[in-house]
Amino acid sequence: MSDAPGGGAVQAPATPPTQPSNDQNPQSNAKKSKPAPAEGEKKLSAAELKKQKQAEKQARRAAAKTSSDAPAIQKENPPKGGQKQQKDSKQAPKDDKSRPLPIRRRPSQSNVPTAKEVKKDKKDTRPTDLFFGHLYTQPRLHSTAGATKDVHPAILALGLQYSSYVICGSTARMVAMLLAFKAVIESYQTPVGTSLARHLTSHHLSPQIDYLRSCRSLSISMGNAIRWLKDLIIKIDPSTPEAEAKRDLLYEIDNFIRERVTMADQLIAETAVKKIEPGDVILTYASSSIVEQSLLRAHQNGVDFSVIVVDSKPLFEGKRLARNLAKHGLRVRYFLISGSAHAVKDATKVFLGAHAMMSNGRLYSRVGTALVSMLASSMSIPVIVLCESVKFTERVALDSIVTNEVAPADELLSEPERQALLPLKPKSEEGEEEGQDTKGVMKWIESAENLQILQVLYDVTPAEYINMVITEYGSLPPSSVPVVHRLSTNT
Amino acid sequence: MAQSSGAVAPGLSSFLASLKTTPVEPSIEHLISLLKRRQIRNSRPCAVATTALLLRVVGEFKGKNSAKLVDRIRQVGKRLTSAQPREVVVGNIVRRVLGLVREVVEENLDVDTTATSDVGQNAPHSDALHRPSLHSSISTFSPLKHAAAEPHEIASFPEEMSDSGELVKRPPLLSSHTSAAPMVNSLFGLFSQPDTPSTSNTPTGHQSPDSKAMLTSVNLERLADFSSSKFDMKAEVMDGIRELQDELDQSDDLMAAYALDHIHANEIVLTHTASTSVQKFLLAAARKRKFTVVHVETHPHDHHATHSALLTGKKRDGHEGEDEDAWKPLRLAGVRVVMIPDSHVFAIMSQVNKVILATHTVLANGALVAASGARMIASAAKAHRTPVVVVSGVYKLSPVYPFNTEELIECGDAGTVVPYEDGDFVDLVDVENPLYDYVPADLVDLYITNIGGHAPSYLYRIVADHYRTEDITL
Repeated sequence: MSDAPGGGAVQAPATPPTQPSNDQNPQSNAKKSKPAPAEGEKKLSAAELKKQKQAEKQARRAAAKTSSDAPAIQKENPPKGGQKQQKDSKQAPKDDKSRPLPIRRRPSQSNVPTAKEVKKDKKDTRPTDLFFGHLYTQPRLHSTAGATKDVHPAILALGLQYSSYVICGSTARMVAMLLAFKAVIESYQTPVGTSLARHLTSHHLSPQIDYLRSCRSLSISMGNAIRWLKDLIIKIDPSTPEAEAKRDLLYEIDNFIRERVTMADQLIAETAVKKIEPGDVILTYASSSIVEQSLLRAHQNGVDFSVIVVDSKPLFEGKRLARNLAKHGLRVRYFLISGSAHAVKDATKVFLGAHAMMSNGRLYSRVGTALVSMLASSMSIPVIVLCESVKFTERVALDSIVTNEVAPADELLSEPERQALLPLKPKSEEGEEEGQDTKGVMKWIESAENLQILQVLYDVTPAEYINMVITEYGSLPPSSVPVVHRLSTNT
Repeated sequence: MAQSSGAVAPGLSSFLASLKTTPVEPSIEHLISLLKRRQIRNSRPCAVATTALLLRVVGEFKGKNSAKLVDRIRQVGKRLTSAQPREVVVGNIVRRVLGLVREVVEENLDVDTTATSDVGQNAPHSDALHRPSLHSSISTFSPLKHAAAEPHEIASFPEEMSDSGELVKRPPLLSSHTSAAPMVNSLFGLFSQPDTPSTSNTPTGHQSPDSKAMLTSVNLERLADFSSSKFDMKAEVMDGIRELQDELDQSDDLMAAYALDHIHANEIVLTHTASTSVQKFLLAAARKRKFTVVHVETHPHDHHATHSALLTGKKRDGHEGEDEDAWKPLRLAGVRVVMIPDSHVFAIMSQVNKVILATHTVLANGALVAASGARMIASAAKAHRTPVVVVSGVYKLSPVYPFNTEELIECGDAGTVVPYEDGDFVDLVDVENPLYDYVPADLVDLYITNIGGHAPSYLYRIVADHYRTEDITL
């Protein structure tokens, strides 16, 4: 129930492509006498769609057993907001035989985590509903335990890499996902009776995406890529032989990565290098692959400049960047975000990576970016964002609260910090043998009344702090983001 | 060196304990070494230690000559401040004590001069004598030139003891002026103090029939040792220092008394560091009102203390004794506490009603030096039009004018930013860890001190009330 707003928001880009496939469903389902749901479905968000699809399946079984009560139920469901409990209770009086079905299906479906989620939510609402209450949906999956059997091993591995931040960063996640999808498509075989175009997206790719989402919410670029892929699959002529269709898909995916990421990065780096002049001090925040690429290229070109890396808890992404740059012979200084006022003072330009560029020109990026760009613009230092157009989105944001990704609070306290709290922990409450390690500290903090540790991953930088956005289409002001977004999606 | 038992880490408590048994000179050395080794850090411990030491210095002072006492205190103060110039509070306390001595002497002088008030006819002469030296005694560093025009500042008797050094250095200058025509003198004054805000200010001091302004040099010479018979200067100064100690003790509570004027129900307040003053301030408000505190953890140097303060109300970080810095944690007082990392400040700021900053030092121009991160918090607050309130005891208020803000910033241990296990990283990259931030006055909306709330633009006046212009340069 509570996942509807959060999940819906994240999934929004994924929704439209699924609709055509659903529009086609009625045709195939027509034999099973189910023409009804098409109109209702269009208004639904993806989360609701998912539930409805389950309901469809249940209904289909019910329809196979009994006669045709199910369509009637289906008709009723969509306006109700797809709430499972409600639906069950609705079903109960109408069709007694279909009632045990959902229960039976649950273990195999990805319902197990959802059931947990409801429980967890009740516990969480107490401390967390202050700012980001609407974002606390589903605890992140850190194992493959909850996964459906449909999920491809490559995706399972990828999901774990996501949730543990092994693969981190908008572009990296998108590329990794597309590569994993290649493996999925390669091993895919269209079941008899359907075509690849109709079956692949909704029945095979969707569980994969759902699993990835349960590991960590999808990035904007991932959403864009998924939308593009779904679009591509739907456009495949059903008459194309399966092998050929798959080959085309794989080729297109490679092409996408090459065009939208690899080449785009090169173009951006080329432009960005021109902005670096001898004697410059380039400040960057956290870590961005494209910023790193640009700086290294400028260094190879023999431009004499130095770099300041500002970093923050808990991911310390900038450390890797700083180390890498320094290994290539650049002069690097390293600050934490609390010293950013001092770091910005010494800088002459600020290069930032992006998670996404919003249509209102705002930059959605690693939390802390807004602080750095605010300080830089208050000192009249140009702030330049390097961003591939694949990260542009038609969504808009005004603050960092409405849309964001909440990270588990326990990530925030590092091991030494927990260790430091250890002596302070009251011993009397629980067994001493249990509470004396750092896990006990975490438990203590979690159970501490009125105390909440908050961690989100992104923030939104106002457009007025950004002087320039460099994309593969050229350098533009943030106000041109929507134009470029239209340009890049229409072609 | 007289340090207490090995079990206790050297710090404020061990210093205070040793102070009772150690002679003065080793105690001074002890404090200097503690300051140098940063074993006494932060404003309050420094202030407490300095006051305790000065109390002892005054107590041990032999002789009745107030000028010598001023010299002695100033000399100790110089050593202490040069040991750790960025702990501005040390200098503040020394200046306060110097001011105290002057005040004590002055009061008694008052009594004395009213008794011998027949010196009135010498007024013009003394005027001429003292005006140039007054200017020389006001530090060019200080924004207090205007404030100095207050009558009691002009009371010029203390030349003898305050600036005896300067006087000694400049007798030819002075005498040449006195021998010259008064015209030259007034012109000199005109040029050396071109920015006196209102012309009425300077004359008031001189025209007032205040007996203090009418001292003759003869009188001054007599004053140097008049104290021998009349009063116990030392006891009065020591009383004054004890009052100062009381002020240090009570300033948090006094500031907390204003809390209800500033925090309304259901407010969301953002603060940083584990400052005792701020915690007590919020706690006082929590007794009456329910609100939410967003606590920025101030990562590389104060996060341990912040965590423990939030959880238990104890700062385990400092070396202070366990007696004074334990309080009920805010969360148990019914305040909802949300701890965020420093990077989240901008993201959360749109939801915050008020920012309350703790500070390390407040400077005379209304700017402050606070734990690093304060600048970005204040800037983010400005960007969101969120009022910024600074809670600070008057003892943190310094007459120092920040011409170079860089020199006020201390850089800390880089190992707290990147652990030394990351050897290759530390080798390759310059890791920096500034401990303090300079926050300009225009980012601050309000100061709350133990004597009330003030606009940043008014602080210079409070500085003028608490410090003597003669003491600004130690």
